[in-house]
Amino acid sequence: MKDLAVRLAALDADAGAALRVIAYFDSLVESRAGLQSIVRGAAVLADCPARLSDDERRVRIRVTAAGVNAWRDDPPAPDWMTTAAGTATLWLERAGSPGPVEAMILERAAGAARAVLDRTRGRAPAADPASAELIVDASAPAEVRRQAARRLGLTDPAYAIALPAETRVRSGPLPKLPGRAGIGPAAPILGLPASWAAAKVALRFAAEGTDEDPGPRVVHAEELGALALLAELGDQSDAPDVKALDHTAAAAPWMLTTLHTMAASISLRAAATTLRLHHSTLQDRITHAEHLLGWNVRTPQGRLRLQLALALRRLHRHP
Amino acid sequence: MTLSVEMTPPPFDPELGAALPAIAAMIPAALTADLIPALRAGGPLGSPTDDELRRDGRFTIEERAVPGLDGDPDISLLILRPTAATGTLGCVYFTHGGGMILGDNRTGVLEALDWAEEFGLVVVSVEYRLAPETPHPGPVDDCYAGLVWTADHAGELGFEPGRMIVAGGSAGGGLAAALALRARDEGGPALAGQMLIYPMLDDRNDTYSCRQMAGRGIWDTTANDTGWTALLGAARGGPDVSPYAAPARATDLSNLPPAFIDVGSAETFRDEDVAYANRIWQAGGHAELHVWPGAFHGFDATVPQAGISQEARAARVRWLHRLLDV
Repeated sequence: MKDLAVRLAALDADAGAALRVIAYFDSLVESRAGLQSIVRGAAVLADCPARLSDDERRVRIRVTAAGVNAWRDDPPAPDWMTTAAGTATLWLERAGSPGPVEAMILERAAGAARAVLDRTRGRAPAADPASAELIVDASAPAEVRRQAARRLGLTDPAYAIALPAETRVRSGPLPKLPGRAGIGPAAPILGLPASWAAAKVALRFAAEGTDEDPGPRVVHAEELGALALLAELGDQSDAPDVKALDHTAAAAPWMLTTLHTMAASISLRAAATTLRLHHSTLQDRITHAEHLLGWNVRTPQGRLRLQLALALRRLHRHP
Repeated sequence: MTLSVEMTPPPFDPELGAALPAIAAMIPAALTADLIPALRAGGPLGSPTDDELRRDGRFTIEERAVPGLDGDPDISLLILRPTAATGTLGCVYFTHGGGMILGDNRTGVLEALDWAEEFGLVVVSVEYRLAPETPHPGPVDDCYAGLVWTADHAGELGFEPGRMIVAGGSAGGGLAAALALRARDEGGPALAGQMLIYPMLDDRNDTYSCRQMAGRGIWDTTANDTGWTALLGAARGGPDVSPYAAPARATDLSNLPPAFIDVGSAETFRDEDVAYANRIWQAGGHAELHVWPGAFHGFDATVPQAGISQEARAARVRWLHRLLDV
């Protein structure tokens, strides 16, 4: 019997379609299908190319709607439908927000892919710290650094990531990071020592993201600008504005978060939205803070002074 | 047929197994004769349109009525000719599938068009009469008459007679095998090869795989009984079945054109198709056999996107390269 005109691609957006998607991926999982089959299933059912990428585990799969493997190096478009699959990312190469069937395909394919990755590739490989440290060591011979880059599968350009107790180097999109991190600028392999130096500076500006230490957990060196120069100063904990900030912080647990959010927002109204406060409540809090700090933080000059004080305080916390 | 023990079937390929429910919803594994009218009307086999056959003008379409065998009614040949081919053309004479009871001369012909584009072939697909309305030998006689006419008109059709092959899938694979036997026996057209895609070869319907796959996959032993009984009636499985109806009945498989045979490990035809290849080798012949693990009947046609389907179709193309790149 030939040529049954079965077009799995012809799934329409009814309830039955979602059930068929669920049954399809359940069946793949049950028969221990591989990643290729799972990504192909997503592509065929969604009738558009699908790709799965896991940089940590060096998995890169792209399958067209016809089921053909066809990797492309161009980066995923920001508006493609996407979801995380553990450490990997799954995309349908279709712009817009997913409809019910597409959402189901993403969810089920990502779940299946994650199970296969955990089963067949083990936990995401620990970064190879010795190789990473060689690559960012400007005193190591160039050929040794190139070899280490090949071991890690790095391609030009790459960048360094400074974590509190670890150095990483990588190519491609930024992975999920466990906590505070500084990101160095992109550089050729042999330029990574400079990227690492900048990443270490950026790390000092990265905050825990707590009430005690509010601010971004991940800081890109390239976005610091002249602020990076502050890191070259010695200990500034005795600077009057830093002391005033610490004094103010002691008044209420919300104080630092409120001041940081206000300093980092384009308007008080935006800050109130971020903090989920009523506009007038925020006004009251800031008036209170200004009284303790001793300067007006709502003028451009006062706001810059606050930003600098917050930055110096963070540098002191993260020497 | 009674099963005395529970048989464990080979597992389906993961992608094929996941797609099977959607296919089984259109065509049950155990197809019975009462379903024939509905299946013919519903057209689960699909039929390519003229536009699909023309491929943006790369092929011309002609339906040609040619005489049947020994006073049989005229038969219709679908002739698809490449418009821009250079060099010496060959010909693939195509016998469609459908269990002897379904389909027409457009069924499954798109894959032959793919080959035609790659190798410069004229495609000739025969509209043979179907069982049960036309029992054996009507269908195979129609196919043979069309084959002889095509070979006789190689000059007019524009192909080199030495580059002609027969090809077909399922029932069409069985018919293609029968044409190769008959052409050998009757001094008919010299064939360069026979492409037997999961061919339906054995009316006895009693191999291990027939029993093992009962009720499973596509075209199980019940469906197989439906097809063979439509073609042979009470003679099915008896002592007097012609090898031109069921090529597995042939006692001599020597001096046949090179054969390509493929089949799934999870289908009724597995054992008879493996046996046919083995007997060709035992007779000193040339055969290439592919058994695709976990594949059910017609897998590459129903689930063309699956990885194993792509591999199976690529293997056919590679065989054609070895056969025709001379």
